[in-house]
Amino acid sequence: MIRIIAAFGLCALSLIPLLWMVATSFKPPAEYVSTSIALWPQDPTLTHYRVLLDGGMWRLGLNSVVVALGTVGLSLLAGLPAAYALARFELPKRFDIVFLGFVLVIKLAPPIALAIPLYQVLRALGLLDTHLGLILANQILALPFAIWMLLGFVRDVPYSFEEAAMLDGAGFLKRLLEIVVPLLMPGLVATAVFVAIMSWNEFLFALLFIQTPSKFTLPAFIATLINEDETLWGRLSAMGLIASLPVLFAVGLVRRGLTREVSVDQH
Amino acid sequence: MIASRRLLPWLLLTPALLIFAGLTLYPLGRTLALSLFATDYGFENATFVGLENFRELWDSRFFRQAVTNTVVFTLVSTVLEVAAGLGLALLLNRAFPGRTLIMTLLLAPFVLSTMVVTAIWRAWFHFDLGFLNNLLRTVGLPGVPWLFDPNLALWSIVLVDVWQTAPFAFLIIFAGLRLIPQDVYEAARVDGAGPWRRFRDMTLPLLAPYLFVAALLRSVDSFKLFDKVYAMTGGGPGQATETVSMFVYRQGFRFFDIGLASAAAVVMIVVAGLLAVVYAASLLKGAGR
Amino acid sequence: MRMMGKALGAVLMLAGLSLPAAAQDRLVIAGRDAGFAPALAKMVELYQAKNPNVKIERLELGGGPLYERLAVGAREKTAATDVAMLDDIWAPEFMARGWLTDLDSVGGLPGEFVKSAIDVSKHNGKLYAAPFVGNIAMFAYRKDLLAKHGFERPKTWSDVVKAAQVIQDKEQGVSGLVFRGIKGNPIVTSFLPVLWAHGGDVVTADGKAVLDTPEAEKALTQFLSFKALAPKGVETYNATELRDAIQQGRAAIAVEMWSSWAGTLDGNASKVANQVEVVASPGEVKGPAPMLGAWLLAIPADSPNKARAADFIRFVTSPENQKLIALETGNPPTLAALFNDKDLVAKYRWYPAQLEALNVAQARPRISQWARVETILGDYLQLALIGQMQPKQALTEANAQIARALSR
Repeated sequence: MIRIIAAFGLCALSLIPLLWMVATSFKPPAEYVSTSIALWPQDPTLTHYRVLLDGGMWRLGLNSVVVALGTVGLSLLAGLPAAYALARFELPKRFDIVFLGFVLVIKLAPPIALAIPLYQVLRALGLLDTHLGLILANQILALPFAIWMLLGFVRDVPYSFEEAAMLDGAGFLKRLLEIVVPLLMPGLVATAVFVAIMSWNEFLFALLFIQTPSKFTLPAFIATLINEDETLWGRLSAMGLIASLPVLFAVGLVRRGLTREVSVDQH
Repeated sequence: MIASRRLLPWLLLTPALLIFAGLTLYPLGRTLALSLFATDYGFENATFVGLENFRELWDSRFFRQAVTNTVVFTLVSTVLEVAAGLGLALLLNRAFPGRTLIMTLLLAPFVLSTMVVTAIWRAWFHFDLGFLNNLLRTVGLPGVPWLFDPNLALWSIVLVDVWQTAPFAFLIIFAGLRLIPQDVYEAARVDGAGPWRRFRDMTLPLLAPYLFVAALLRSVDSFKLFDKVYAMTGGGPGQATETVSMFVYRQGFRFFDIGLASAAAVVMIVVAGLLAVVYAASLLKGAGR
Repeated sequence: MRMMGKALGAVLMLAGLSLPAAAQDRLVIAGRDAGFAPALAKMVELYQAKNPNVKIERLELGGGPLYERLAVGAREKTAATDVAMLDDIWAPEFMARGWLTDLDSVGGLPGEFVKSAIDVSKHNGKLYAAPFVGNIAMFAYRKDLLAKHGFERPKTWSDVVKAAQVIQDKEQGVSGLVFRGIKGNPIVTSFLPVLWAHGGDVVTADGKAVLDTPEAEKALTQFLSFKALAPKGVETYNATELRDAIQQGRAAIAVEMWSSWAGTLDGNASKVANQVEVVASPGEVKGPAPMLGAWLLAIPADSPNKARAADFIRFVTSPENQKLIALETGNPPTLAALFNDKDLVAKYRWYPAQLEALNVAQARPRISQWARVETILGDYLQLALIGQMQPKQALTEANAQIARALSR
């Protein structure tokens, strides 16, 4: 019993900051620029949301969606074949180990360490200040992750299924698309969701590589709101909530999958 | 057929190889090369200075401070996050109604954009009107200068980091906890071992690899610390929250001292490489078991 | 897989659609946040109403991030900004590197501007920027509180310390003085009037670092003594906090009061209406040297919409709009005649004094590395302010770093 109470208590405690954000987004300025500790708005208002929508906020949301979709698409298109090759073929001279080691270093390397030359690469390609450029830059984070995750999932697909198909004379592409991909679907979806969240929340590259305000992603825009005028908390909270809802929703989806796996493990 | 069979894996690897070559291998090489020059952009008008940039880093009070801060932040936040993750995992290890819901809710801070997290906490840390100080004053305590006391600012950022990422440590440790077979405990209970001894002698050793992985992944991430500092303190007050990432950013994108920035970046990459080796070794060990 | 390919194609197309459309009649304005934002916002609103077909985007940023964005954009020729708002201290770098458009090549700029503000907008006799906000660092004090304790207007910084000490001791809940202590530009601009008053300087006219002097050390020692007289947490104070402290009656003296912040001193939100005197900064061994802090509007050399940008700049700097900005947002104008405008003087009683100050104003060092010099100095000043370094050591190290930056 104590355990349950403690669990619920801790959970509530860790959620107060989020509750504060939700509540503040509905408060008129006089209520949050104050010394009161009341969480709930007394005189709820939609002004902050209206200001954001009138200011073309939806456009920034769309930017984030485009970049996230592009990042997911490219990382799966490049990551799945790579993971398949690493899982299924003997590569000469332990190239697979070298390759995976390199992928690991990239995965662990601080993005800022690559940002300067990357800037110059994107400029040479004419992709600065474009979403395509940002999608490419995001591959530094997304592709190593996708390869590592998919590698595990591909190894879980029994090779015997493919061998059976091969005896039936199915070509490589047919095998990949009709046998491996369908069996891999849960893994692909999970990878896609994680990469999408990663891209949705990415800040550094968006800050550095996007210049035109109408092309900003949500985190880059939020950073411009966290500035000298410190008391724009209503607008900031509304913005934060809008930017968080899709992610929380996505986690709800994946989480359900994860719990199912955990409960299957137990038996 | 044989030839195509040999070519196939390479064909499959090509897209990933192309992306890595253009977006990481080339930039890595370029960073390495630029770190040996004094330049404000690329190799045009650059002067070769050998290891001068590294010597300058070594002499720089601000770089040393940034390294110290980064290391302290990494160690402290990692330890706290793993401890919190372990606590949560033990707490939620037994099934009870609402557990799934709680686990989902606990994950929420981890998946939020760091910018959103920073926005919330910067408001909470506000000295005059912030939620935390309002709370303290309501119960009659004085307000705390969360972000403007140089001895406290880094710990405030640790607090935010623990709040945001302890759930991640929890996820890993919880997965490990589920894999400990229950009969091990049964045997111990029969031997009359109390809960504390069971935890110390059985759970902890069995959980060690997971604790290690959680700590490693968290420390790698903490080592990169940038977003929170950028938006919360800008590295201040003084140099109290300056990190290596902030240092590289400032040298590169504000002062255009590309040589010096690249040298600092090389230092970061070397550290990341070492951590990668440790991680890889632990993965191989795990696979061999 | 085929579906994924299709999805990727669609995404790439979407991304392609948002590539810069150079032919479009657009206007991207990058400007400051905080007190400056309403001025540009109002101008954009009016200009949009007159020119409904122009697609206008406006970006609000803090001082540091704005500089970073503009400088990186100019270096990389990203063509992402059409109108850039520049601090006058950034102008030498932008002009000398050829990052700005000669305004005479895009129709010129009419209007009689304040001399010191037009001076900082020129390079080799050519006009590269339009003065937009005629800011100048003034000094402010509560005349009621100082009179109550027997003080006149402080003539020197030593007088300031004396008066602040007495008020701090005797007035409950009122700090003696307040300044901006956050690192970077704010702490440097708070310190410069004190440094100049002691006869010190950061850089000589021919670009030599001169912070390692006894004058500078005296100035810094005095500046550090301000901290004990200021509200707790002054290390993180920026414009908003300083203005609040004065307006809420929590501090008696503002070491610096930029005229664009003074606009609301007599407003409804102020608890000290008509009690705050805004005057030129005190001196010390030298007379006061008012510091210019003009904000300029310029057209980056890589802007694809120069004619449109020039039209917008002329619109913003027209007499009627400069007056409107001053009346509605408190940002002071740059057209000389407006400082004697009847309506404006009625609202801002210090405008005639401000014009005089503007005419003799001292600009900060006009070197192209100022942004870096300022960051270095700001870092060390703050280390000294939070007590992690002795004044002499801070100045010596800052001087060495600045000398190195200047040699690059």
